[in-house]
Amino acid sequence: MRLLFYDRISDLVVGESIRGTKTFCLSEEYFRKHFSRRPLVPGVIFIEAMAQLLGWLVIRSHDFRLSAVMSLIEDVKMPPDLRPGFSAEISGRLISTSKSDSLGSAKMSVDGVEIASIGRIIYVHSRAGDPAGLRALFGYYGGADWME
Amino acid sequence: MRYLLVDRVTAVESGRAIEGVKNVAMSEDFLEFHFPKNPIMPGIMLLEALVQLTGWLEAVSSDFKKWFLVSRVLKCSFYGFVIPGDRVELSVGCARAPSKDLSVYTGIAKVNGKRRLKAEYQGNLVDLETIEEVEEQKRFFEILKRGV
Repeated sequence: MRLLFYDRISDLVVGESIRGTKTFCLSEEYFRKHFSRRPLVPGVIFIEAMAQLLGWLVIRSHDFRLSAVMSLIEDVKMPPDLRPGFSAEISGRLISTSKSDSLGSAKMSVDGVEIASIGRIIYVHSRAGDPAGLRALFGYYGGADWME
Repeated sequence: MRYLLVDRVTAVESGRAIEGVKNVAMSEDFLEFHFPKNPIMPGIMLLEALVQLTGWLEAVSSDFKKWFLVSRVLKCSFYGFVIPGDRVELSVGCARAPSKDLSVYTGIAKVNGKRRLKAEYQGNLVDLETIEEVEEQKRFFEILKRGV
Protein backbone atom coordinates (compact mmCIF):
# COMPACT_ATOMS: atom_id res chain seq x y z
CA MET A 1 0.00 0.00 0.00
CA ARG A 2 1.34 3.38 -0.97
CA LEU A 3 0.39 5.59 1.94
CA LEU A 4 -0.58 8.55 -0.27
CA PHE A 5 -4.19 9.50 0.22
CA TYR A 6 -4.66 12.37 -2.16
CA ASP A 7 -4.30 12.18 -5.93
CA ARG A 8 -3.85 15.77 -6.98
CA ILE A 9 -3.35 19.27 -5.62
CA SER A 10 -5.61 21.71 -7.46
CA ASP A 11 -4.98 24.96 -5.62
CA LEU A 12 -2.53 26.26 -3.05
CA VAL A 13 -2.19 29.66 -1.40
CA VAL A 14 1.00 29.83 0.65
CA GLY A 15 0.29 30.35 4.35
CA GLU A 16 -3.45 30.14 3.84
CA SER A 17 -5.17 27.25 2.07
CA ILE A 18 -4.90 24.16 -0.10
CA ARG A 19 -7.32 22.11 -2.19
CA GLY A 20 -6.98 18.69 -3.74
CA THR A 21 -8.81 15.55 -4.77
CA LYS A 22 -8.86 11.93 -3.68
CA THR A 23 -10.57 9.22 -5.69
CA PHE A 24 -11.62 6.09 -3.85
CA CYS A 25 -11.57 2.98 -6.01
CA LEU A 26 -12.09 -0.70 -5.32
CA SER A 27 -8.45 -1.50 -6.15
CA GLU A 28 -7.22 0.19 -2.94
CA GLU A 29 -5.20 -2.31 -0.88
CA TYR A 30 -7.12 -1.76 2.34
CA PHE A 31 -10.29 -3.27 0.90
CA ARG A 32 -8.67 -6.72 1.11
CA LYS A 33 -9.83 -7.02 4.72
CA HIS A 34 -12.20 -4.08 5.12
CA PHE A 35 -14.43 -6.00 4.65
CA SER A 36 -14.83 -9.42 3.04
CA ARG A 37 -18.54 -9.12 2.25
CA ARG A 38 -18.74 -5.36 1.78
CA PRO A 39 -15.96 -2.92 0.89
CA LEU A 40 -16.10 0.12 3.17
CA VAL A 41 -13.56 2.94 3.25
CA PRO A 42 -11.87 2.84 6.70
CA GLY A 43 -12.72 6.00 8.61
CA VAL A 44 -9.10 6.80 9.45
CA ILE A 45 -8.24 7.06 5.74
CA PHE A 46 -10.32 10.25 5.55
CA ILE A 47 -8.26 11.71 8.41
CA GLU A 48 -4.97 10.79 6.73
CA ALA A 49 -6.10 12.26 3.40
CA MET A 50 -6.92 15.62 4.99
CA ALA A 51 -3.80 15.58 7.18
CA GLN A 52 -1.45 14.79 4.30
CA LEU A 53 -2.74 17.58 2.11
CA LEU A 54 -2.68 20.19 4.87
CA GLY A 55 0.76 18.96 5.90
CA TRP A 56 2.11 19.82 2.46
CA LEU A 57 0.65 23.32 2.79
CA VAL A 58 2.59 23.74 6.04
CA ILE A 59 5.82 22.50 4.44
CA ARG A 60 5.38 24.56 1.27
CA SER A 61 4.52 27.65 3.35
CA HIS A 62 7.89 27.32 5.10
CA ASP A 63 9.69 26.82 1.78
CA PHE A 64 10.52 23.15 2.50
CA ARG A 65 12.80 24.06 5.43
CA LEU A 66 10.82 21.95 7.90
CA SER A 67 8.88 18.74 8.28
CA ALA A 68 5.42 18.64 9.87
CA VAL A 69 4.08 15.77 11.96
CA MET A 70 0.54 15.57 13.26
CA SER A 71 0.40 15.84 17.06
CA LEU A 72 -3.31 16.43 17.82
CA ILE A 73 -6.68 16.15 16.10
CA GLU A 74 -10.02 17.16 17.58
CA ASP A 75 -13.66 17.20 16.53
CA VAL A 76 -13.23 14.77 13.63
CA LYS A 77 -16.21 13.44 11.70
CA MET A 78 -16.13 10.80 8.99
CA PRO A 79 -18.60 8.52 7.22
CA PRO A 80 -18.47 4.96 8.63
CA ASP A 81 -20.05 3.15 5.69
CA LEU A 82 -19.05 4.56 2.29
CA ARG A 83 -18.36 2.15 -0.55
CA PRO A 84 -15.66 3.04 -3.10
CA GLY A 85 -16.47 4.66 -6.42
CA PHE A 86 -16.42 8.36 -5.65
CA SER A 87 -14.11 11.33 -5.87
CA ALA A 88 -13.79 13.65 -2.90
CA GLU A 89 -12.55 17.22 -2.82
CA ILE A 90 -10.28 18.00 0.10
CA SER A 91 -9.77 21.52 1.37
CA GLY A 92 -7.60 22.64 4.23
CA ARG A 93 -6.74 25.97 5.75
CA LEU A 94 -4.05 27.20 8.07
CA ILE A 95 -5.30 29.13 11.08
CA SER A 96 -1.81 29.92 12.35
CA THR A 97 1.73 28.79 11.69
CA SER A 98 5.09 29.52 13.32
CA LYS A 99 8.58 28.02 13.22
CA SER A 100 7.60 25.44 15.84
CA ASP A 101 4.02 24.43 15.03
CA SER A 102 0.91 24.94 12.92
CA LEU A 103 -2.83 24.90 13.58
CA GLY A 104 -5.41 24.23 10.91
CA SER A 105 -8.68 22.63 9.89
CA ALA A 106 -9.83 20.59 6.90
CA LYS A 107 -12.85 19.04 5.26
CA MET A 108 -13.81 16.65 2.46
CA SER A 109 -16.84 16.86 0.23
CA VAL A 110 -18.43 14.85 -2.57
CA ASP A 111 -20.54 16.70 -5.15
CA GLY A 112 -20.59 19.70 -2.85
CA VAL A 113 -21.82 17.73 0.18
CA GLU A 114 -19.46 17.62 3.18
CA ILE A 115 -18.65 14.03 4.21
CA ALA A 116 -15.74 14.44 6.64
CA SER A 117 -14.02 17.15 8.63
CA ILE A 118 -11.26 17.85 11.14
CA GLY A 119 -12.22 20.73 13.41
CA ARG A 120 -8.72 21.25 14.71
CA ILE A 121 -5.36 19.76 13.75
CA ILE A 122 -1.95 20.64 15.18
CA TYR A 123 1.38 19.81 13.55
CA VAL A 124 4.72 20.03 15.29
CA HIS A 125 7.65 21.01 13.12
CA SER A 126 11.17 19.74 12.89
CA ARG A 127 14.02 20.99 10.75
CA ALA A 128 14.05 19.31 7.36
CA GLY A 129 17.26 17.37 6.84
CA ASP A 130 16.97 17.57 3.06
CA PRO A 131 14.92 20.57 1.83
CA ALA A 132 15.84 19.89 -1.82
CA GLY A 133 14.64 16.30 -1.49
CA LEU A 134 11.42 17.47 0.15
CA ARG A 135 10.83 19.94 -2.70
CA ALA A 136 11.36 17.15 -5.23
CA LEU A 137 8.87 14.88 -3.40
CA PHE A 138 6.33 17.68 -3.40
CA GLY A 139 6.76 18.06 -7.13
CA TYR A 140 6.13 14.37 -7.65
CA TYR A 141 3.28 14.01 -5.15
CA GLY A 142 1.47 17.26 -5.84
CA GLY A 143 2.35 18.26 -9.39
CA ALA A 144 4.92 20.78 -10.58
CA ASP A 145 2.36 23.59 -10.89
CA TRP A 146 2.68 24.41 -7.21
CA MET A 147 6.45 24.41 -6.92
CA GLU A 148 6.85 28.17 -7.08
CA MET B 1 -1.21 -5.48 2.34
CA ARG B 2 -3.79 -7.21 4.46
CA TYR B 3 -5.46 -4.41 6.37
CA LEU B 4 -5.07 -6.11 9.75
CA LEU B 5 -3.55 -3.87 12.41
CA VAL B 6 -3.92 -6.16 15.43
CA ASP B 7 -1.53 -9.12 15.78
CA ARG B 8 -2.78 -10.57 19.05
CA VAL B 9 -5.61 -10.12 21.56
CA THR B 10 -4.21 -10.57 25.06
CA ALA B 11 -7.24 -9.88 27.27
CA VAL B 12 -10.93 -9.15 26.85
CA GLU B 13 -13.70 -8.27 29.28
CA SER B 14 -17.04 -8.50 27.49
CA GLY B 15 -18.78 -5.14 27.14
CA ARG B 16 -16.04 -3.24 28.92
CA ALA B 17 -12.45 -3.52 27.74
CA ILE B 18 -9.94 -5.28 25.51
CA GLU B 19 -6.16 -5.41 25.16
CA GLY B 20 -3.97 -6.42 22.26
CA VAL B 21 -0.62 -6.11 20.52
CA LYS B 22 0.62 -4.66 17.23
CA ASN B 23 4.20 -5.43 16.23
CA VAL B 24 5.76 -2.97 13.80
CA ALA B 25 8.05 -4.51 11.19
CA MET B 26 10.41 -2.79 8.75
CA SER B 27 8.60 -4.74 6.04
CA GLU B 28 5.32 -2.85 6.57
CA ASP B 29 4.59 -1.28 3.22
CA PHE B 30 3.17 1.93 4.68
CA LEU B 31 6.67 2.79 5.90
CA GLU B 32 7.86 3.32 2.33
CA PHE B 33 6.06 6.65 2.16
CA HIS B 34 5.89 7.48 5.85
CA PHE B 35 8.45 8.78 5.57
CA PRO B 36 11.03 8.38 2.82
CA LYS B 37 14.39 7.84 4.57
CA ASN B 38 12.68 8.05 7.98
CA PRO B 39 10.28 5.15 8.64
CA ILE B 40 7.74 6.00 11.36
CA MET B 41 4.47 4.18 11.90
CA PRO B 42 1.69 6.56 10.83
CA GLY B 43 -0.30 7.75 13.82
CA ILE B 44 -3.46 7.09 11.91
CA MET B 45 -2.52 3.41 11.55
CA LEU B 46 -2.16 3.23 15.34
CA LEU B 47 -5.64 4.72 15.59
CA GLU B 48 -6.86 2.10 13.12
CA ALA B 49 -5.34 -0.62 15.31
CA LEU B 50 -7.40 0.68 18.24
CA VAL B 51 -10.52 0.89 16.07
CA GLN B 52 -10.05 -2.70 14.91
CA LEU B 53 -9.52 -3.83 18.50
CA THR B 54 -12.79 -2.07 19.33
CA GLY B 55 -14.40 -4.12 16.57
CA TRP B 56 -13.22 -7.30 18.29
CA LEU B 57 -14.53 -6.04 21.65
CA GLU B 58 -17.98 -5.41 20.20
CA ALA B 59 -17.94 -8.73 18.35
CA VAL B 60 -17.11 -10.68 21.51
CA SER B 61 -19.63 -8.67 23.53
CA SER B 62 -22.45 -9.51 21.10
CA ASP B 63 -21.61 -13.16 20.37
CA PHE B 64 -20.29 -12.03 16.98
CA LYS B 65 -23.46 -10.28 15.92
CA LYS B 66 -21.99 -6.74 15.85
CA TRP B 67 -18.92 -4.89 14.61
CA PHE B 68 -17.71 -1.37 15.27
CA LEU B 69 -17.17 1.33 12.64
CA VAL B 70 -15.66 4.64 13.73
CA SER B 71 -17.54 7.81 12.76
CA ARG B 72 -16.22 10.43 15.13
CA VAL B 73 -12.93 11.15 16.86
CA LEU B 74 -13.46 13.52 19.75
CA LYS B 75 -9.76 13.87 20.43
CA CYS B 76 -6.59 12.04 19.48
CA SER B 77 -3.17 13.00 20.80
CA PHE B 78 0.07 11.67 19.33
CA TYR B 79 2.82 11.70 21.96
CA GLY B 80 5.79 10.16 20.25
CA PHE B 81 7.00 8.11 17.34
CA VAL B 82 6.48 4.39 16.92
CA ILE B 83 9.28 2.90 14.86
CA PRO B 84 10.11 -0.46 13.25
CA GLY B 85 10.92 -3.04 15.91
CA ASP B 86 8.46 -1.62 18.42
CA ARG B 87 5.86 -3.82 20.11
CA VAL B 88 2.81 -1.63 20.63
CA GLU B 89 0.55 -2.46 23.57
CA LEU B 90 -3.03 -1.53 22.75
CA SER B 91 -5.91 -1.10 25.18
CA VAL B 92 -9.49 0.03 24.69
CA GLY B 93 -12.10 0.80 27.30
CA CYS B 94 -15.77 1.44 26.70
CA ALA B 95 -18.05 3.82 28.56
CA ARG B 96 -21.62 2.85 27.68
CA ALA B 97 -23.98 5.72 26.97
CA PRO B 98 -27.76 5.52 27.50
CA SER B 99 -28.04 4.61 23.83
CA LYS B 100 -25.66 1.75 23.02
CA ASP B 101 -24.77 3.22 19.66
CA LEU B 102 -23.33 6.31 21.30
CA SER B 103 -20.73 4.62 23.49
CA VAL B 104 -17.50 6.54 23.99
CA TYR B 105 -14.31 4.51 23.65
CA THR B 106 -10.91 5.42 25.05
CA GLY B 107 -7.96 3.83 23.32
CA ILE B 108 -4.32 3.97 24.39
CA ALA B 109 -1.21 2.75 22.57
CA LYS B 110 2.03 2.30 24.51
CA VAL B 111 5.56 1.14 23.74
CA ASN B 112 7.60 -0.17 26.68
CA GLY B 113 4.96 1.28 28.99
CA LYS B 114 5.29 4.78 27.53
CA ARG B 115 2.21 6.35 25.98
CA ARG B 116 2.39 7.02 22.24
CA LEU B 117 -1.25 7.74 21.44
CA LYS B 118 -4.49 8.38 23.28
CA ALA B 119 -7.84 8.69 21.53
CA GLU B 120 -11.48 9.17 22.44
CA TYR B 121 -13.88 8.16 19.71
CA GLN B 122 -17.40 7.06 18.86
CA GLY B 123 -19.00 5.07 16.10
CA ASN B 124 -21.74 2.82 14.83
CA LEU B 125 -22.47 -0.80 15.65
CA VAL B 126 -23.33 -2.65 12.45
CA ASP B 127 -24.51 -6.21 11.92
CA LEU B 128 -21.35 -8.26 11.47
CA GLU B 129 -23.00 -10.65 9.02
CA THR B 130 -23.55 -7.77 6.58
CA ILE B 131 -19.82 -7.07 6.24
CA GLU B 132 -17.97 -10.31 7.13
CA GLU B 133 -18.37 -14.07 7.15
CA VAL B 134 -19.30 -14.60 10.81
CA GLU B 135 -17.85 -18.10 11.18
CA GLU B 136 -14.61 -17.00 9.52
CA GLN B 137 -14.43 -14.04 11.91
CA LYS B 138 -14.89 -16.35 14.91
CA ARG B 139 -12.08 -18.59 13.68
CA PHE B 140 -9.80 -15.62 13.17
CA PHE B 141 -10.49 -14.41 16.70
CA GLU B 142 -9.22 -17.76 18.01
CA ILE B 143 -6.05 -17.23 15.96
CA LEU B 144 -5.60 -13.77 17.50
CA LYS B 145 -5.72 -15.32 21.00
CA ARG B 146 -3.03 -17.91 20.30
CA GLY B 147 0.05 -17.69 22.49
CA VAL B 148 -1.70 -15.94 25.36
